[in-house]
Amino acid sequence: MSLFFSIREGIANFRRARFAAFASTMAMAVALLMLGTLALLGLEAQQVLSWLQQRVGEMEVFVAESATESEAEALFSRIQTHPQVTSAEYISKEQAQAIFQEEFGEGAESFIDEPFLPASVRLQVRAPFVQTDSLSQLQADLQTWDHVDEVVFNQPLLNTVQQNIRLAGSIGAAVGGIILIAALFLVGNTIRLTIYARRLLIRTMKLVGATDGFIRRPFLVEGALQGMLAGMLAGGGLWALYRGALSYFPQMAGLAPNIEWMLLGGTIITGIVLGWVGSFMAVRRFINRVELH
Amino acid sequence: MIHFRNITASYTAPNGERRVVVEEVSFDIERAEMAYLIGPTGSGKSTLLRMLYMDHFPDKGATQVGDYRSDQISDSEIPYLRREVGVVFQDFQLLPDRSAFDNVAFALYATGKRKKEVRKRTIKALTRVGLNHKRTQFPHELSGGEQQRVVIARAIANDPWVLLADEPTGNLDPAVASDIQGLLVDLHHQGMTLLMATHDYRLVKEYPARTLAIMNRQVVEVDPDTL
Repeated sequence: MSLFFSIREGIANFRRARFAAFASTMAMAVALLMLGTLALLGLEAQQVLSWLQQRVGEMEVFVAESATESEAEALFSRIQTHPQVTSAEYISKEQAQAIFQEEFGEGAESFIDEPFLPASVRLQVRAPFVQTDSLSQLQADLQTWDHVDEVVFNQPLLNTVQQNIRLAGSIGAAVGGIILIAALFLVGNTIRLTIYARRLLIRTMKLVGATDGFIRRPFLVEGALQGMLAGMLAGGGLWALYRGALSYFPQMAGLAPNIEWMLLGGTIITGIVLGWVGSFMAVRRFINRVELH
Repeated sequence: MIHFRNITASYTAPNGERRVVVEEVSFDIERAEMAYLIGPTGSGKSTLLRMLYMDHFPDKGATQVGDYRSDQISDSEIPYLRREVGVVFQDFQLLPDRSAFDNVAFALYATGKRKKEVRKRTIKALTRVGLNHKRTQFPHELSGGEQQRVVIARAIANDPWVLLADEPTGNLDPAVASDIQGLLVDLHHQGMTLLMATHDYRLVKEYPARTLAIMNRQVVEVDPDTL
């Protein structure tokens, strides 16, 4: 019965104090939109990061001139099965010649007589191993293998990318932290004001002998309802923002449909939790402080 | 039974100053007794009442209401004490967005009563204060006296054994104040313990009862006829 009363009161409070409910809901929606945008940017940045890591995590193993074709193929097979390698591609002398001609353009015909470039294996290193130390170690390891002439990777580019990733990560974390604190502050204060506006209700409940848990419950129901509504508003806004960004910047990586749904669901769930926790803290503080006289 | 045992109590005035209202005071109120607590504004009448519904605690000594002692009660027990005590204030403190019926029913729901019982008790309480016919009206549709009757109905809906009234007629004109006082005395005649803080000596003389006055930080018994 008391639970039914709490739910009924929670819904009724929403109706009774429309402006306060509207203010809380909008504050939460804005906070969630900010957090959602941050999450969206984070996901997009993660995609760019993994693309970048793939690009710089490329290594080329040149096959020794003395190696026969079958030995070169055996080397390719061995590299493919290496635990740190995610994919590998064998480039024969002829393919290397063709790539050279394509990239060199005019004047490349003068080298056309005979393939002069060595065969090679171009490999992608698994993302966790795309670090200067790991790549240097892998380079040294591969260098000792039979029929390997030389192993190269773009170390200066890797260093630059890693430095920039660290910098971007620190800036992102700082901005994210500020936004999170601002969002919690905004929501906490708005809910506190909403509950302050109901001090007579809380005082009356305390006066007639309602327990603290009982006083809290309708506010929690109301907070969760407001959070759910705010989550739906923010989720819708976020989705529209994301779709708009995709149409303006088609080069964006884009999220998988299930990630989009998870983001929307996550925003609503975060809204419910935010409303619940915010109301819990505000009403607990108020119950303890309010004087009946 | 209500006990005040060696109570020293103070409160913080609106200007932040700490004021001692009583020192080493002891007195009892018997069950089903009626008593007035008189004294000028700021003398500490409200502070003494607040110590009974445990909204304020003595600096020294202890109050006891039924089985609950101020020096032994836990925070979680206070709501259960308040279910045994009805409280009426000068400012009515009715919820403006609920009808008279809902204001009374709310107090019962808040203590976990079931819907059927809530309806029965609410109608009984409103009938006792003579306001059942106005149960659908909202506070702003009721006169001051009627609002105070709703407050009294709310205070007695849970069948408390004691009613604490803090200047219940302070906001009412003399005729209505007499009516309200008559209603409170009727409740006392039906077996309710009544402790009422007031500075309206006219009412004390009109409905005489044991009278306790706060003077020089002490509580003394006075003859109502001498007021």
